[in-house]
Amino acid sequence: MDRLLLLLPTTTYRTEDFLDAARTLGVDVVCASEKPSTFEAHAPDHLLTLDFADPDAAAARVAALAGRRPLNAVVGVDDLTTVAAAAIAERLGLRSNPVAAVAAARDKHQMRQCLAAAGVPVPRFRPIALKDDPFLAARGVAFPCVLKPLALSASRGVIRANNVDQFIAAIRRIGALLQRADVEAAGDAAQFLLAEQYVPGVEVALEGLRVRGTLHTLALFDKPDPLEGPFFEETIYVTPSRLPATAQRAIEHVTAAACAALGLDEGPVHAELRVNDAGPWVLEVAARSIGGLCSRTLRFGTGMTLEEIVLRHALGWPIASLTRERRPAGVMMIPIPRAGRLAAVRGVEAAGAVAGIEEVAITAHAGQELVPLPEGWQYLGFIFARADTPDAVEAALRDAHARLAFEIA
Amino acid sequence: MSDDLKTKVQDLIDTMINPAVAGHGGFVELIDVQDNRVYLQMGGGCQGCGAADITLKSGIERLIKEELPEVAEVLDTTDHQSGTNPYYSAGKA
Repeated sequence: MDRLLLLLPTTTYRTEDFLDAARTLGVDVVCASEKPSTFEAHAPDHLLTLDFADPDAAAARVAALAGRRPLNAVVGVDDLTTVAAAAIAERLGLRSNPVAAVAAARDKHQMRQCLAAAGVPVPRFRPIALKDDPFLAARGVAFPCVLKPLALSASRGVIRANNVDQFIAAIRRIGALLQRADVEAAGDAAQFLLAEQYVPGVEVALEGLRVRGTLHTLALFDKPDPLEGPFFEETIYVTPSRLPATAQRAIEHVTAAACAALGLDEGPVHAELRVNDAGPWVLEVAARSIGGLCSRTLRFGTGMTLEEIVLRHALGWPIASLTRERRPAGVMMIPIPRAGRLAAVRGVEAAGAVAGIEEVAITAHAGQELVPLPEGWQYLGFIFARADTPDAVEAALRDAHARLAFEIA
Repeated sequence: MSDDLKTKVQDLIDTMINPAVAGHGGFVELIDVQDNRVYLQMGGGCQGCGAADITLKSGIERLIKEELPEVAEVLDTTDHQSGTNPYYSAGKA
């Protein structure tokens, strides 16, 4: 039986779906988290505690385990684990991207430098040191611009500034965010942020799989809600895209070029792009699959999940089909409307009764402290829909969301 | 047969499983055993916890199957969405 190491942060939404996929494939699973499991002493060959922020130490720890019971694959399920997963795979000689490539994709400044040097269209950018005088740092910055931390995900800390006053306020706000206890920023990521040109246009997300340097597009999602700031909260994703075929081909071409520039040759990629009259602009390329519970919108071939594809690729197993089902699908990440504590959620049944809605998953729990963007990183939950057209999917998601009521004290 | 297995599973829960998950404020209840399938419910810090699946599949199920090889599967019947004090909360990263 093949043996698989999954790197599962305790804060990830992805545990259930990856464990389900591993069970479907019938592999022996070793789970590693950054905090100890209550059962680690009972199952030391199947439960590990790893410091994901120290990839070398994580690789050494796993190498000791693999010396006793060899591993066939390692998969990091989200951004916090990608570099550690690559380091472990490199140490054990398993299928993966080079550590340097994954590390560059995790650092927005390094990524921009790499992509710009390769001629991949990216917004103009410059790093800003948090210790610098923000008024002086604003000199030479063209407005509007977008300020963002180097290593956070899910639009956390991403703020648009239209003038010097907003620029200074945004820098101070991001600086304070990076000091929060729930933010694990170290090195440059704790001392710098990125200022970049605001690129107008529509935004899309490409979900792909790199196999020996070739990009296979698994899905292209439209993001129909305008993302114009001051914060950039992601809400609705719908696939297939309604953009013209020529624009979709251009997006795939630019994403493949971005992956090649970074050296991401194997495994899942999740790319975010803006598209306007000048063509596609790469905002992000992450060496992981889509976050949250959003992968539940995707089915391939005769029903394979995205997680099964990711695991099969890592294990070197055949994949019957990388073609997504034809039926349009979508997800709405339910945004947090304001800060407070969640008291109650109403209307879940009514939302689930909307034609086309497959699931309403409320992931926030009663009593949970809710932190909206730009400081927050969680959602109230996820709504999933399938319908005959992308427009019908989007309409169903909006209708279902309108039927939900969140009491926040 | 099932009652006997139920007693053995309950004994494991009492002596090994609940003492372990108690460290995170959690507890596990045996709901039933049917056709060698064990139905459990998780509470306290386990209910809605981001690591509940790891605890269940890599901890509890593995332990039960090692001790009681006749168990075919361990199934979670918990309504995790109703958890009010999960030990870990998920976020998009």
